[in-house]
Amino acid sequence: MTGIPHDLRDTEVDRDTVERRLAETWRTRRGFWGAIATVDHKIIGRRYIVTAFVFLLLGGVLGLLMRWQLATPEGRALGPDLYNQVFTMHGANMMFLFAVPVMEAMAVYLVPLMVGTRNIAFPRLNAFSYWIYLAGGLLLWVAFALDMGPDIGWFGYVPLSGPQYAPGKRADIWAQMITFTEIAALAVAVEIVVTVFKQRAPGMTLDRIPLFVWAMLVTSFIVMLAMPAIMVGSTSLILDRLVGTHFFNPAEGGDVLLWQHLFWFFGHPEVYIIFLPATGMISSMLPAFVRRPVFGYLALVLSMVTIGILSFGLWVHHMFTTGLPRLGESFFTASSMAIAVPAGVQIFCWIATLWDGRPVFRTPFLFILAFFFTFVLGGMTGVMVASVPLDTQVHDTYFVVAHFHYVLIGGAVFPLLGAVYYWYPKIVGRMMSERLGRWVAGLIFVGFNLAFFPMHILGLQGMPRRVYTYQADLPWGPLNMFVSLSSLMLAAGFLLFFIDAVRSARSGPPAGDNPWDSPSLEWATTSPPPPYNFARIPVVTGPSPLWENRDELPVASGLRLDRREIVITSVADAVPEARESSPRDSLWPFWAALTTSVLLIGSIFSPWAVVWGSIPVAIALIGWFWPKGTPEDEA
Amino acid sequence: MKRRAALVMAVAMLVGCQREQRDLRLDPPVAAALDQVAPTANGIGGAPPDVYVALGGPYESNAYNLGEGKRLYTWFNCKGCHADGGGASGPALMDGWWRYGADPVSLFVSLRDGRPNGMPAYRDKLTTEQIWQLVGYVQTIGMASATTAAPSRNDEMQSRPAENRAPAAADLPTPPSR
Repeated sequence: MTGIPHDLRDTEVDRDTVERRLAETWRTRRGFWGAIATVDHKIIGRRYIVTAFVFLLLGGVLGLLMRWQLATPEGRALGPDLYNQVFTMHGANMMFLFAVPVMEAMAVYLVPLMVGTRNIAFPRLNAFSYWIYLAGGLLLWVAFALDMGPDIGWFGYVPLSGPQYAPGKRADIWAQMITFTEIAALAVAVEIVVTVFKQRAPGMTLDRIPLFVWAMLVTSFIVMLAMPAIMVGSTSLILDRLVGTHFFNPAEGGDVLLWQHLFWFFGHPEVYIIFLPATGMISSMLPAFVRRPVFGYLALVLSMVTIGILSFGLWVHHMFTTGLPRLGESFFTASSMAIAVPAGVQIFCWIATLWDGRPVFRTPFLFILAFFFTFVLGGMTGVMVASVPLDTQVHDTYFVVAHFHYVLIGGAVFPLLGAVYYWYPKIVGRMMSERLGRWVAGLIFVGFNLAFFPMHILGLQGMPRRVYTYQADLPWGPLNMFVSLSSLMLAAGFLLFFIDAVRSARSGPPAGDNPWDSPSLEWATTSPPPPYNFARIPVVTGPSPLWENRDELPVASGLRLDRREIVITSVADAVPEARESSPRDSLWPFWAALTTSVLLIGSIFSPWAVVWGSIPVAIALIGWFWPKGTPEDEA
Repeated sequence: MKRRAALVMAVAMLVGCQREQRDLRLDPPVAAALDQVAPTANGIGGAPPDVYVALGGPYESNAYNLGEGKRLYTWFNCKGCHADGGGASGPALMDGWWRYGADPVSLFVSLRDGRPNGMPAYRDKLTTEQIWQLVGYVQTIGMASATTAAPSRNDEMQSRPAENRAPAAADLPTPPSR
């Protein structure tokens, strides 16, 4: 540090020195404690993504176990008790530990790069978020390994999950796991909103924001408005079970239906928390494969915002069979069907983009096509179950299972897999195999449809959800066997995907900065990006910056090199407003997450854990926020 | 360090398994052997069956069995005489003072064979396993300290703190002297 002027700016030295000095300022220290302390959004995002995919793998194995059990009538693979745990784990794991976190993980990695900044807002909160998420996932899976896995369904309906009918700690594990993932998700949501509003590159006005970033912005607002409902719900449930409160006890003035309202006020927006990022991925990937900007930017943004708003007005369609007033049922039927309008607008915008483009059939594009077919089918059955008479008929049958797997896998996992193939070279620096990729896309698309389409028929034939077996004289045997065999094909596709992802990390062909010739900012830096993302902050002059400035991107300069510094811009026009420091690495988020985890897990066993556990949490937070006298602490 | 972690893990697994395990269908020979209690001549106290010991006393520390016991307590109208543990025409159960012994074997014999002055025999109405489940539950009613395995409140009007919030008896007057 000696010999360097205190306030070193990037305008004073040549490019090599800028990069060397930035690398030193932004680098993550080597070794175990360096890895724990890092606040680099790329490292944390990578961890987040890998962890989420591990949970996908585990959840997929559970799905296969269920198909093994259901392949034949009176199956003997799993007992009823284990089956209850397995389907609950599958649902809870896929929704809370895979689908929501993986979308946020992609955003943690990509959003700062796409808006052209050097780190996510509140990077230490970001580190905290990952550790909390990891602890929640470990809690659930360790409990499952100890035969303590929740067995109440991923929705945890009372009174079945309540104190009277769910003995032991299984339901508490589920409820507390929710608390973990909610904290993690809320933290990321706050970071993304601030990053998108205040850290965009100069010139990236609202109508030049990449559509994935728009999608994550809307999603983050949904997270912030929806997650508190489930936190209230799961906390009330724990209090009922542990302390003996009466939130859900009708005899003492509580309300059983209150749980369903709280849960689905979160649970329905949750579907869009998963789906909107996927639509953003589609919109951001499409231009690279049809060689033109996406059609109807404004319409796409507005339909995403519309979906975000409407998503809070249709939770009751999960409760049509609970005997609610007719007027309520009619209202929520109408609002549920209304959401098909903005979803349809998006589909037509993408079709128009394809129509006018010159498609390049690479693996990510294949997944986009798979998405169109599958998601539209799932959307159609969605409109069907939005109508009360049909919903009453198929409620709690495999028809619903088929419907939501079509929208969740077709609507979110297909785009996600495409996104992994698309952004993998940026994250790893190497390409995934195109040959294997085609196999993966084909196996997963065909396997998925063969495995899940017959479930529609099974549902219409009356096969209920969540049953661990069925009798031989019921007409469901052959179709179930077909479904189970097809699920092996789907599993083979995923296995190939994991093999490809792991193998390409070592031996894939080097990617270069912009292998797809894409127009957005994340491709303006090296693959993988350096710790500081951009040596000089890019200046955006249009909606497709890398296509409009083929030779050289205009950049902003004047930032300090001797401390972590980012550019703050105005919300609407992205006019530079200030240079702001960005926090350096710290161990305190890890300690805070650890102490919080001890508190939350302890509270399953004794309410006193909340009292005594808050002391270490307070110490960790004081350590976290104590001024350290680093250059980053200067105003 | 690694060995210690493995040890902690193993203990946690044992404890977790013990408390959370759910045996939905008991092995028939085990169920039959569970009936082989050896009470003393006056029917109070005695030796539990060997298999009970071998199983590790699962009816006192297993959450599922305790929960089942609580259900049976309602289904077989134990409430009719003992109320929610406070006692009515039958004696109170929550004061920790038992006329015919508080140990599992005495309670098992009380439930299976009945006792003088009103306690009916349940040997023809309940299976051996169910009697043991009730024994475990009835013990938690009179427990002096909380246990994490005990069931929590029912979805009904409350007359006493939940079993897992024990001791409920602290609010009661001291038991009568004999």
